[in-house]
Amino acid sequence: MAFIEINGQQFEVDEDGFLLNPDTWIEDVAKYFCKEEGIDELTEDHWKVIKYLRDYFFQFGIAPMVRKLCKDTGYSLKGIYELFPTGPAKGACKLAGLPKPTGCV
Amino acid sequence: MAQARTDIGPPLYKEMLPPIIKENYGKWQYHEIVKPGVLVHVSETGAKLYTVRAGSPRLISIYFIREICDLADKYCDGYLRFTSRHNVEFLLSDGSKVDALIAELTEKGVPVGGTGNSITNIVHTQGWVHCHTPATDASGIVKSVMDELFEYFTTMKLPAKLRISLACCLNMCGAVHCSDIAILGIHRTVPKIDHDTLHKVCEIPTLTASCPTAAIRPNPKLKSVEIKAERCMYCGNCYTMCPSVHIIDAKNDAVSIWVGGKISNSRIGPRFSRLAIPFLPNNPPRWPEVVNAVKHIVEVYAANAQPGERMAEWIERISWEKFFEVTGLQFTDKHIDDFTLAQTTFRSTTQFKW
Repeated sequence: MAFIEINGQQFEVDEDGFLLNPDTWIEDVAKYFCKEEGIDELTEDHWKVIKYLRDYFFQFGIAPMVRKLCKDTGYSLKGIYELFPTGPAKGACKLAGLPKPTGCV
Repeated sequence: MAQARTDIGPPLYKEMLPPIIKENYGKWQYHEIVKPGVLVHVSETGAKLYTVRAGSPRLISIYFIREICDLADKYCDGYLRFTSRHNVEFLLSDGSKVDALIAELTEKGVPVGGTGNSITNIVHTQGWVHCHTPATDASGIVKSVMDELFEYFTTMKLPAKLRISLACCLNMCGAVHCSDIAILGIHRTVPKIDHDTLHKVCEIPTLTASCPTAAIRPNPKLKSVEIKAERCMYCGNCYTMCPSVHIIDAKNDAVSIWVGGKISNSRIGPRFSRLAIPFLPNNPPRWPEVVNAVKHIVEVYAANAQPGERMAEWIERISWEKFFEVTGLQFTDKHIDDFTLAQTTFRSTTQFKW
């Protein structure tokens, strides 16, 4: 597995660039990932989604369904895609340090 | 991010229709199979469309595509199509060119056939070429089986059409659950869990919910899960959801054969395929056991079924116990359904044959 270095700290990532251990996430990880997911700068709106995803994941052990994400954060799916051009899974979950989505994706 | 051009859908199919089809769209009167692999459709305007159907291995290179494009340019004014079973069809408005096209296809090693009461192309999946959950290979078995059954592709001597399909795991991508003969990859061992990585890369609730027999339960002590081996039937669903559960087992992964599925409503309604052979070994590169089993079932069916009778109709007429008798296949405990709706598959009548 590969490692990335952010401010002198090592993070293990998989071949798609997802953080391997959600516990090691820090805000700088999201800042580091945002360029490759097509985001110029992380705004208040981005952080709201990222924080929500992390809270949900540590409370329930899973990433929320898309409908749940939209309902709870108040963003439409279109709005989520405007914030995260690569989508809620590849974009938002990656920035939030959540495990890579599985199944027939 | 620069605004990308999105949501434009596929190109409109009408842009790619040969003029003869555009002109006679919705006006076809009848069609005939001239000879194996060649169809003629006759329109009410009198126009005749000749179709030459040729086999393809589905997994093809851009060079193969360019070769068939050259043929289409030469014989069909640049028009061709692919069928829903991945055969190539050349669409000719000029019937005099049919034989020349067939000659050139044959010379290139592309077989013409797959029409009428034949064994046409095998619908199949990714296998070891591209997928991460397979229990067997797709392209390899398909090539081996079609080599052995080649005569049935280029002739129309079977009682009815016979559809063979293959899926390399029981996700059953494709048509194995509804084919006359289906080849399906299966696992036979309980998955092994990598406890060190599981809590990092998997969503444990999703993982436990993925199990159809509820064999997986969380193990909070290890921040992982445990699998009750006696409840597991090796479906591999958990591996689909979680990369830390490993099910692939080179030694024990195997192939099963299913029969009697159909999707058309002609004569009898659609049927699911049912288990005929629970286990045949994975034996690359030619899978002789699988090839022989499929060939044997085809030959017994061809020798016994009435004209026009699909596999499912034949088996239902002679009964499943006779099917196992005439094919000589062994009936085992594996054939008896023990899942949710098992009861509906048991015999609830005294009618049976000794």
